[in-house]
Amino acid sequence: MWAYLIRRLAWNIPVYLGILLFIMLVLRVRDPVFARLPKNATEEDKEDIRAELGLNRPFFMQYGALLKQVATLTFDEESWSKPGQTVGEILRRSIGPSLAITIPALVLTTCLSVAVALVSAWFRGRPPDRLLVFVSVLGMSVSFLVYIILGQYFAAYRLTQITGIDLFAISFEPEIADVDGVEFITSVWPHYYLLPVLISVVVAMGYDTRFYRAVMVEESLRDYIVTARAKGAPQWRIMFLHMLKNAMIPIITRVAITLPFLITGSFLLERYFGIPGMGNQLLLAVEGLDFPVVQSFTAVFAALYIGTILLTDVLYALVDPRVRLS
Amino acid sequence: MTESTQSRAWRKFVQHRPALIASFIIATYVLVALSVMITGWITLDDTNRRVGPPNVPGFGLQPDPEQRMEIAEHLAERIESLCDRKEPVTALREFRDLGSRRLADLSVEQFQEQAESVWEIYDQLAKLENVNDAVIASESSVRVTALLSDLDARCEQFLLPVAQTGATWRTLELLLGTDRQGRSIFLRAVYSIRVAIMVGLVTGVMAVLIGTLTGLAAGYFGGVVDGLITWLYSTFASIPSIVLLIVLAFMFAGGDLDQFINSYTGNLLRTLVGGRLDETLIPVYISFAITYWIGPCRVIRGETLKIKELEYVQAAVVMGYGRTRILLRHVLPNVTHLMLISFSLLFIGAIKSEVILSYLGLGVQNGPSWGLMISQSSQEVMKGFFWQIGTATAFMFVLVLAFNILTDALQDVFDPKHV
Repeated sequence: MWAYLIRRLAWNIPVYLGILLFIMLVLRVRDPVFARLPKNATEEDKEDIRAELGLNRPFFMQYGALLKQVATLTFDEESWSKPGQTVGEILRRSIGPSLAITIPALVLTTCLSVAVALVSAWFRGRPPDRLLVFVSVLGMSVSFLVYIILGQYFAAYRLTQITGIDLFAISFEPEIADVDGVEFITSVWPHYYLLPVLISVVVAMGYDTRFYRAVMVEESLRDYIVTARAKGAPQWRIMFLHMLKNAMIPIITRVAITLPFLITGSFLLERYFGIPGMGNQLLLAVEGLDFPVVQSFTAVFAALYIGTILLTDVLYALVDPRVRLS
Repeated sequence: MTESTQSRAWRKFVQHRPALIASFIIATYVLVALSVMITGWITLDDTNRRVGPPNVPGFGLQPDPEQRMEIAEHLAERIESLCDRKEPVTALREFRDLGSRRLADLSVEQFQEQAESVWEIYDQLAKLENVNDAVIASESSVRVTALLSDLDARCEQFLLPVAQTGATWRTLELLLGTDRQGRSIFLRAVYSIRVAIMVGLVTGVMAVLIGTLTGLAAGYFGGVVDGLITWLYSTFASIPSIVLLIVLAFMFAGGDLDQFINSYTGNLLRTLVGGRLDETLIPVYISFAITYWIGPCRVIRGETLKIKELEYVQAAVVMGYGRTRILLRHVLPNVTHLMLISFSLLFIGAIKSEVILSYLGLGVQNGPSWGLMISQSSQEVMKGFFWQIGTATAFMFVLVLAFNILTDALQDVFDPKHV
């Protein structure tokens, strides 16, 4: 297994270098100097800014500088659009708000959709199953943005207007950005984060339910289920004990694959509700042509992504003796 | 072998009722898009032009009384200001704020008199604290309702009767109401069909083409080619697709790229796509194609690896057929179903991602799209006006739903093991 692991790691090195190269090249399609020029700038000003941003160095030197940062894990380059803040600081500060949405959303979505998928598989081919499948296809056919706009209007605005209870905030307020600890969990989170979480659960439910249903249905056609039935095991026992246990592998794989995406946050939700998370920060960086932030973010994400995929492969081999790593 | 499986798949597809309905719906959308593109019965200007007061409800429903007063106030003010211009006659003749409706053939004095008579009624209504409540309240209901219809009638006298300027077109303009800027929601939504079909078709074809070529090459030739292509798609797959999409769309949105291509190819892009709306779509196409080719490539590479080992391909090798012939005649026909399924999935992906890009201001410019309509409607929703978001969502929903059903059917038909 170790040989496999080392081989895979070695294979991923050129991939990783490729990612960094690609993102640096794509970013350099636009000239960031142009946006930062003062009025009536001379050629000299242009050169000064170029030197200040470090863009006058040859490309491979810039590439090397990024590689060095990644290798030593010190993201202490200064952000271009937020002077005085290092890239590392920006990433650290915005990861919390993102996780406050994505982790609860992932847990809720997975539990709910596995439950719904079980119900669906139980009634396979009969009206309840058809209805559930149809509803999830309907849900998948509506734009994410529509859920956000209507969710905010009805849950945050109309609900408060009609009942007078201010359950959900319409948007994030900068003052509460520094609240943490118990107060965060009891008062800030339910008020500011719960609604985005619920919206993202509703959106993701359709996709996940369909996937898990397919898993369950596939599992229910296997020989061991037929055997269990023939032995006269009760239906609920077959569903929850035999089937769910064996369906755990694809479920865990799907969850594991989405783990790196937890840190990207949700661009739309964060932008719409004004939550200062990773997605929002990254959008600002892209719009402000803030190369260091975009590059470091991509580097961190890609490392996590590759790591997770490797980890799931290894876990597979540990859990399932039939899987051989070669 | 190819033919018999294809005809069996075809027979299964024809028996799949929902899939047939879905195909019919998609065909209708494509026909509407084509009709807009070829005959131009809706022009880009029609969708950007004011056709009436802002946020008028659709289906000929009456706006609420407060809004009716605002509309009258706006119209009377507008006409008075036109009368005060240096050349009131031409100013009045060129008045185009109400879409296809034109001002009546009156003299400047007559217009001013008319405006006075509107103000007369308006002032009576303005004395009430809240006109909406007054209409419902039993003691004032009859009087206020009469005043309101009088107000509407007097405003109507500014204009030529509808019958003279095309009643059908006017109905279409106001069929689903107007947006915040007084533009026709119906015309915008229909024109957006053309935009959506273009985005879906172009990006779908581009991504499937790139994916198929690379996937076939990687799977069939193996070795260095496979290594290179696998490296390329692993690289792209390790950047979250939404990040990639946004970064690409933003970087190419500056217009540098298409200018670059145009200057080296003698305005090839401009002659190919043309039009001020379609030009702004180029960065969108490019970012979608670069982001989404990975999916088809991975699937087709895997399938090619499998097919390569099958006996009939081995037989073809033994018979001494060339590589190109085997690839085109023996392998390619057996991955077409995957190309079809990928295309269908990409179409949905493109339409939905367009909404996100449009919300971020990176999508369609200079023209309508469902994404733009949805993102513009967030402020209207806060005021309780749902016509714009409802229309755009409904138009998009039907198309995406049809594609979802079609994709499922294709998967059922071609891959019986798939559940």
